[in-house]
Amino acid sequence: MSDFRVFIGGSAGSIAPIKTILSSLPTDFNLIITLIIHSSGDNNTSMIEAIASCCTLTVIEISDKEIVKPNTIYLAPGGYHLYVENINSYSLSVDKKEHYCRPAIDLLFTSAAETFGKHCIAILLSGANEDGTEGLLNVKRHGGLTIVQSPELSQVSIMPKIAIERGAATKVLSPKEISHLLLEYND
Amino acid sequence: MVIATEIPILDEQSITETLRTKNIEIDLFITAIKEKVGYDLSGYARASIKRRIEQLVIDENVTCIAELIPKLLYSKECQANYINRLTVNVSELFRHPNSFLSLRKSVLPYLESFPRRDIWIAGCATGEEAYSMAILLEEVGLLNNTQIHATDINTEVLKQAKTGILTKGLNKDDAARYQASGGTSSLSNYFSTAYNKHKLSQHLLDHISFSHHNILQDKVFCSAQLVMCRNVMIYFDLNTQNSALALFHNSLVQNGYLVIGEKESLINSPLINLLKTIDEPAKIYQRKSSANV
Repeated sequence: MSDFRVFIGGSAGSIAPIKTILSSLPTDFNLIITLIIHSSGDNNTSMIEAIASCCTLTVIEISDKEIVKPNTIYLAPGGYHLYVENINSYSLSVDKKEHYCRPAIDLLFTSAAETFGKHCIAILLSGANEDGTEGLLNVKRHGGLTIVQSPELSQVSIMPKIAIERGAATKVLSPKEISHLLLEYND
Repeated sequence: MVIATEIPILDEQSITETLRTKNIEIDLFITAIKEKVGYDLSGYARASIKRRIEQLVIDENVTCIAELIPKLLYSKECQANYINRLTVNVSELFRHPNSFLSLRKSVLPYLESFPRRDIWIAGCATGEEAYSMAILLEEVGLLNNTQIHATDINTEVLKQAKTGILTKGLNKDDAARYQASGGTSSLSNYFSTAYNKHKLSQHLLDHISFSHHNILQDKVFCSAQLVMCRNVMIYFDLNTQNSALALFHNSLVQNGYLVIGEKESLINSPLINLLKTIDEPAKIYQRKSSANV
């Protein structure tokens, strides 16, 4: 298992880029990926199926204090905030919404930044919200890598644009380029 | 494409130092609460309690966690206020309808066989879970001879819960969850409305007692046929979750039922062997009778 961890946050219009990014990853991809997509979701089943159908890695919806395993993609459950509890596990909360969202990307990215520091790779995709920017800034402050989907290639460009305007992006890339970059980390 | 940036990136040493300092502050604050007020929050999940403490720093308009400590030590008002803000949980009527539907089908018929029933709602927050249970029992004709014991660590939410008044009113989402829970009437029938407030009917409220109880430090609250504790243990670390589960298990009569939150899990608990799964997605388990253990 790599020391590097990948956190991908998205909102409206993020399923398509997520599929593009994940579909080129091999079965032995050894960076743990955590996906967080805005959803109130009492039922994430169809989203899990959509994501699982496009990639060879196992996709799991996170339970509280879930302990991470290699070669797995973890998805934040709808209706809960998600935090990195420590290097091996997550925790959930139902505290108030942030940016009208639960899960909020900012909270996950910030806890990831503080736990993984320079080993944190945070990716922000399409969406119509300002959530995610503060989290990316924290990842950056802690020496991590921040990537934002190119606004021109985003179905909804508000979220990527805000992040770029506020200086939260180390790199601005297309979904294909994001995927290539992740493969470079897979040693 | 690489973007020029003005975000200061700290060197590794100062990042480590800042995080270390913050962790010391959190530990000191938690110790101060324990020593001064008697509440032990050390078993709370680190990430979420940290977030709540940081929110307290913002709300109290201080610059760091350490500055909360003298306020806590010297002001009674701050003590109560901080504890309540660090332990407040939110709730709603018929949360996760799937569990209520399953309770109705798989558990309540069993409870019917008891002449008297005790149900413990541990961590009841502002009461919605207990209200929902009372409505469900009323609909299946089991409310008489049932006592619902609703407990919470938080004195503020208990005050609210005792009134029977909904904090957020009634909306169509509540009605939809009630229907999805197998509700056979109209949710609004169980509430009286005055001054734009919705209050649970008195004859339902009469079957619920609200009491102060700390899951982490107090003993078993009552002997119960059904214990329900949902979205409370997510705020605890693994060890503490296991102690809480052991407490619930001890409070259950043989073959009594335990319901936990939909994203909570028994996978890491030794209790997994002492409980039988009734409905995994609905998170309903049954205490095995000692003969079967």
